[in-house]
Amino acid sequence: MYRMTTIREKVEKKPWLGWLLFAVTVIVVFLLGLLASSIIERRAEALFAYTPRVELSEFEPRNAEWGKNFPREYQSYLQTTDTSFRSKYNGSAWIDMLEVDPRMVVLWAGYSFSKDYNQARGHAYAIEDIRQILRTGGPAGPDDGPMPNTCWSCKGPDVPRVMAEVGVAEFYSGTWASRGEEIVNPIGCADCHDPETMNLRITRPALIEAFERMGKDVTKASHQEMRSLVCAQCHVEYYFKGAGNYLTHPWDNGFKAEEMEAYYDQAQFSDWIHSMSRAPMLKAQHPGYEIYMTGIHADRGVSCADCHMPYTSEGGMKFTDHHVRSPLDNVANSCQVCHREETEKLIANVYQRQDQIIENRDQLERLLVRAHTEAQKAWELGATEDEMKEILTAIRHAQWRWDYAAASHGASFHSPVEVSRTIATAIDIIQEGRIRLARLLLNRGFTAEVPYPDITTKAQAQQFIGLDMDALNAAKALFLQTLVPVWDSIAAERHASWDR
Amino acid sequence: MVSGILTGLALFAIHISRAPSYLSDKPETCTNCHIMAPQYATWSHSSHREWTHCNDCHVPHNNVINKYYFKAADGLRHATIFTLRREPQVIRIRHAGIGVVQENCIRCHDQILHGFKYLAGESIQHREATERLCWDCHREVPHGRVNSLTSTPWARVPLPESPVPEWLRSFTGK
Repeated sequence: MYRMTTIREKVEKKPWLGWLLFAVTVIVVFLLGLLASSIIERRAEALFAYTPRVELSEFEPRNAEWGKNFPREYQSYLQTTDTSFRSKYNGSAWIDMLEVDPRMVVLWAGYSFSKDYNQARGHAYAIEDIRQILRTGGPAGPDDGPMPNTCWSCKGPDVPRVMAEVGVAEFYSGTWASRGEEIVNPIGCADCHDPETMNLRITRPALIEAFERMGKDVTKASHQEMRSLVCAQCHVEYYFKGAGNYLTHPWDNGFKAEEMEAYYDQAQFSDWIHSMSRAPMLKAQHPGYEIYMTGIHADRGVSCADCHMPYTSEGGMKFTDHHVRSPLDNVANSCQVCHREETEKLIANVYQRQDQIIENRDQLERLLVRAHTEAQKAWELGATEDEMKEILTAIRHAQWRWDYAAASHGASFHSPVEVSRTIATAIDIIQEGRIRLARLLLNRGFTAEVPYPDITTKAQAQQFIGLDMDALNAAKALFLQTLVPVWDSIAAERHASWDR
Repeated sequence: MVSGILTGLALFAIHISRAPSYLSDKPETCTNCHIMAPQYATWSHSSHREWTHCNDCHVPHNNVINKYYFKAADGLRHATIFTLRREPQVIRIRHAGIGVVQENCIRCHDQILHGFKYLAGESIQHREATERLCWDCHREVPHGRVNSLTSTPWARVPLPESPVPEWLRSFTGK
């Protein structure tokens, strides 16, 4: 009967077979082991090829640290230092707006905006420029100077860091100079990004609180909404509420000029009393987001970033251009993604809107200057508080609406129809007020025209309202020479301590 | 004993390469190989993210057998190239894949080719649409135009975690 021979028996007969079997096993195990170790190696590669170089802490304020992980985004952000772009009315360089339009000096008489007001430079200049501007004065020490700490709120990623350390209300308290050594890094990465996921995030509590009061949960916003909301943390209207100067957005009734005006009237809030007309005035900050929300681009779901930070590509890489700037400086990647027109044509369309709106805005400005000088005359002739009440309210409302249109730099493009409408209502209000003023002046026996002041230059206008510019400039120069270097050296020491 | 070693090694290879995941339709499976990260990242930033996974476009859907046959053939080729370190810097779709993807475009976007308004009168629309590839014109859909291995640095892609166990990492301090 046939019996299967065992391997052992075969090997006993032919010893070389044993060695062959041994060799084959060695090779197969070797190769399988090689395969297994190759799989492990290539899996491990993923950790090195796709893991960022630097671990970022939650409130890392130094933009250059983020830049080590995201060099393209960071390098494009650094281009916000570029000041070479100039459009018809704005641009990326400082423009002395008081020189361009000295009427503003009279409109803001008694308020620090009459000292110094510029078209802003890019994000990277946020700290340098707030130190330079005359409005923050020339503090000699931590408890000196005209402004509160609330003024730092938008200036950079040190703000959420310090807010997390000391609390929000505490952050706003005290004078502006007392946190000068803390807030040193200009607007950058951590203001808008979560360091763990790079998702967009809201770091400024005022925006979250304002949305809560409107019954909206800002944490439920979509990614596309976030591409505007991170900008809305700063490019919005705000005021400093109460003694604690708590940063607040006046949106409880809505985003329109009338709606915010009603909010301020109800709160009986005024930013300052005008030094000529004695009207309780409102200063619009920069209601960019609010006005944009009333426009056609917002209606179609276009976000701020879509035009101001469009996608760009470098080699095979597509990323968001962090050189935040006017789309007029980058028409190809912004406008022309949707609009199939020539660059010149698109820019001409923007200028047309700006020209047409500034025509009426200039008219409104002249009327406001007249109203302030006429009101001043009425006080001189012995007008009573009671007689002036409605006139001053008209000045307050008309100038607020003018400022709403003027202070939001892109307004006449973002929402031309709404801005025209707002300016038209202001012209009506101020003329009604001036008719009352004319009647009042007549009752006091004054029948001549109140002369329009000679304010063709900024210097003339500042002299007209009685500003001592030499003293302001001297205090600022001293501050920049003495206190600012102290702030910078304390900050440098703090940064060094984080790296140790 | 010999067969024990062989089976053990084979099982280890299956485990460490996450082989069972290849039976699924999850897009995370494709990033088992990290060189697929740019493809994953570009898809996850595209509108197709909302409706499709890798397999919806890249394997045939005419029947189950064909699906897994194609998947196995394609997968084995990928695994071989990846193991031999022969992957190109810019990964491009090959002939067999082109046909499959085109079929799958049509599978979902059938109405665009065969809607009433295209069937009326001239058949140019229909002819053009079937004789050319969809992405001859729709060049950015859905992965963008160029996808090199380095085109999406630090993209948030579900890559496999480190194969080094926790205890060993804490021991070496890495």
